[in-house]
Amino acid sequence: MHSMKGMQTAASMHGEYKVPGGKLVVIDLNVRDGRLANVRLSGDFFLEPDSALQTINATLEDQPSDIGEMALTLALHKALGPDVLMYGISPEAVTVAVHRALHEGGTT
Amino acid sequence: MMPSDWRDHDWQLIHTSPQDPALHMALDDVLTHEVGAGHRSPTLRIWEWASSAVVIGRFQSLRNEVDMAAAQRHGIEVVRRISGGGAMFIEPGNTITYSLYAPKSLVHGMSFQQAYAYLDTWVLEALGELGIKAWYQPLNDITSEGGKIAGAAQVHRGNAVLHHVTMAYDIDANKMLDVLRIGREKLSDKGTLSAAKRVDPLRSQTGLPREDVITQMIATFKRLHGLTDSELGNDELRRAEALAKERFSSVQWLTDVP
Repeated sequence: MHSMKGMQTAASMHGEYKVPGGKLVVIDLNVRDGRLANVRLSGDFFLEPDSALQTINATLEDQPSDIGEMALTLALHKALGPDVLMYGISPEAVTVAVHRALHEGGTT
Repeated sequence: MMPSDWRDHDWQLIHTSPQDPALHMALDDVLTHEVGAGHRSPTLRIWEWASSAVVIGRFQSLRNEVDMAAAQRHGIEVVRRISGGGAMFIEPGNTITYSLYAPKSLVHGMSFQQAYAYLDTWVLEALGELGIKAWYQPLNDITSEGGKIAGAAQVHRGNAVLHHVTMAYDIDANKMLDVLRIGREKLSDKGTLSAAKRVDPLRSQTGLPREDVITQMIATFKRLHGLTDSELGNDELRRAEALAKERFSSVQWLTDVP
């Protein structure tokens, strides 16, 4: 098997959202003390610059797990700003995937 | 920026002997930069593969997309590319892959959706000349009545846009499904759960050898847009080889999205 030693904590909650007419948006995360932890976004979307992936992960990290969808979407919009190019993905879609991870997703 | 037309540019063709997957990733990086910096004329590069590979998109989770044990069992190299999009399963002779390194002016003012379709108009025409009725299916697929033919991806760097496409010529669907993990959510709006059935390769549709399909594509591009035979510069190749070794072969890059 390929070594995955770089990951200290395997994320235990998993949410997927296929954006209608768009791409697949995947969130893996943990919840620790009522907050999102080890949040990782992945998928077959297009995002430029590619550093925006880390911006999204960092914005989601430590958010309260009971945060409203609108508040989370707004936080993502604000963090990404107007210059990030997104195709097949949107802050709204990321929020849906987070919500699914929190409310539907177990270990995959 | 002034919009430009295909014919405003002196298009160059690069079609070399087979190269390793990591070098292909690096060549896309280097040549996009070179066109963006104005050091190289806009270029069409046709890839030849030296080995089998799975090429995953920039933001795909390695673990979610690839069964690494199966890849090793089949002797398939797994690499991550610089563009977004989905995983590609490559065996030499089974795909036709090409890259366009175009000036941004060519797609100036277009939406992403328009730019994808615009940069592949010549391919749809070439397929038509081969008797295949194909069209663009947003966001980034070329499809036909029989099923999907190809997937495209774009990256913007400086004044250049990289547009690269992998077309299925022939496919060992069982091996592909052994190596790629294809989730149900992804297929939820595709109308079928069978990933193998989603792809209808060029071989069965044209009955032609792969080389003949490529020859037709080059001829169509040349007729529509003009095209001059070209080669990789020594410096371009040297830089790509260094980048292939330091970045695109590294575990760190491959597992950047674990």
